[in-house]
Amino acid sequence: MSYSARAETRHAYLLLALPAVIVYLAVIAFPTVFSFGLSLTDYKGGPLFGGLNAIRFVGIDHYVKMFGDRFFWISLQNNVYIILVSVFGQIPIGFTVAYVLYRKLVGMRDLFQTMIYLPTVISTIVIGVLWRSFFSPYGPFTQLMELIRPGWDNTLFLNPSTAMIPVLFVILWMYTGTYLIIFLASLQKIDPQIIDAAKIDGASEWQVLGRVALPSLSGVILTTVILAISGSLKSFDLLFAMTAGNPARRTSVLALYMYDNAFRGSPDYGLANAVSTFMVMLSFALVLILVVLEKRWGGGE
Amino acid sequence: MGVVVPAGQHRRPTGGAGLRRGETSPLAKVLLYGVLVLFTLATVFPLLWLVINSFKTTQAFQMDRLGLPERWVVENYVHAWSIGEFETLILNSVVYTFVSTLAAILLSAAAGFAFAKLRSRWTPLLHGSFVIGILLTIQSIMVPLFLAANMVHLYNSRVGVLLVYTGISLPIGIYLFTAYIRSIPDAIVESARVDGASYLTIFHRIVFPMTRPVAATLAIINIATIWNEFMLINILVSDDALKSLPVGILRFSGALSSDYGKQFAALVIGMLPMVLFYLVFRKQIAKGVSAGAVKG
Repeated sequence: MSYSARAETRHAYLLLALPAVIVYLAVIAFPTVFSFGLSLTDYKGGPLFGGLNAIRFVGIDHYVKMFGDRFFWISLQNNVYIILVSVFGQIPIGFTVAYVLYRKLVGMRDLFQTMIYLPTVISTIVIGVLWRSFFSPYGPFTQLMELIRPGWDNTLFLNPSTAMIPVLFVILWMYTGTYLIIFLASLQKIDPQIIDAAKIDGASEWQVLGRVALPSLSGVILTTVILAISGSLKSFDLLFAMTAGNPARRTSVLALYMYDNAFRGSPDYGLANAVSTFMVMLSFALVLILVVLEKRWGGGE
Repeated sequence: MGVVVPAGQHRRPTGGAGLRRGETSPLAKVLLYGVLVLFTLATVFPLLWLVINSFKTTQAFQMDRLGLPERWVVENYVHAWSIGEFETLILNSVVYTFVSTLAAILLSAAAGFAFAKLRSRWTPLLHGSFVIGILLTIQSIMVPLFLAANMVHLYNSRVGVLLVYTGISLPIGIYLFTAYIRSIPDAIVESARVDGASYLTIFHRIVFPMTRPVAATLAIINIATIWNEFMLINILVSDDALKSLPVGILRFSGALSSDYGKQFAALVIGMLPMVLFYLVFRKQIAKGVSAGAVKG
């Protein structure tokens, strides 16, 4: 390549890639690093330099405070509950339904698929307000329960120990469709001849499921588990609209815990940024696990 | 894929209770249908319940929270529309969704072309950091994003919202475009080079038009994501004139939350655009979601 051609390539590369890189740096990379920096200071808002209060370096104080806060642990625990609902609810149900649809064991497949996926596309805020009304003491759920058990008192959202139950139900209801779609797409990549051959050799449906479908999807199943964990870190909108973390912050999750520290009452940006950094670290850990898994399974999908 | 072996061929005597080719026992079939119908009802019932009750007055709703309205009240929608200032909300949502989607497509296609076809030692690092962004949860940087936006005076600004929405769409966009452009034969680019075309011309005239399918996929994923986005715009904007549909709907769950009729009408208005969008594009959405979720 001549010198001028190389220079042209470099120019073109800069011109084409730079806009995306700059926007990405500004929106994603900078806040990530910025957050870590701020988490080590007592920043209280306003301009970084030349403000009224000089910013002091406080080391890991905010992390110590975060790990000592019981609401942090309550939030983390709720994130874990959401992961459990995904791993033991959404993923097996999504897989089963995907398999049934893929193997054409029932009719009206398009209708079933459309209906199970539909909640996923509706605004989470709409879903949250809808189900809050549905489960509220003034909602139809109470009326239904009164038919079964007269005089039933609806304290679902008032009782700290039951408030997460409707939330987890809605999460199961909302996102099972995503896993259904992922599994269905992966199943469709299996060479149909393999299944044909197995059936011709007299394999039962259970054998096709256990010996052909499940093994060839093992990589995807692991990926969905990672997705479930990162999806749990993403939960914010639904809780914001459905419970706002109430009662007594018992339905908080990490993202909501961070939001509350920054925007409710007097702002504690240091603590909020510590939570932010903690969540970024969790995300990165997930990426690492995914990379390792993909290497081991050779990215077979 | 269904098993399309013609009847009579390859048939072997069925041993014991073994089931043959997609044929399931009647009991299993009833069970399967039962479960699927249950799931379908679980989706239909709450949504239908919402639509029906959006036509009741609040008093009628409080009397009966399950049945059909005695009188169908359309006024709920008229009132909800004017209280919610829905024309502003919908206009803002349309602008945010379409401008950021267009920007994300252009930026991702350009960078994807550079990463796929132009030799540079920066590509692994840059492309890699975009791909990492796919799994980085945006939720985790909501507070620093707010602080950064404040600092550069992009709080309460349309440009700020568009910049953020474009930025969060880039990881998946760059991933999809780079993979797609890599699959375009190098020979196409090389021969245009021999003819004396610059890389920019090649991108603009040859490569970009070829990426239409992946642009469509990104558009579908992005429209569904940005239209419903709530968390970021909720912290980036406090001016009513700049709010989007999801933020506006939340108005009805605050001070107006006991006015059920209007609240339900607002929810229906809020969900209708996406439900229609989904029913029209459901095949493409399914394809886009699986392409975006299971990368590789």
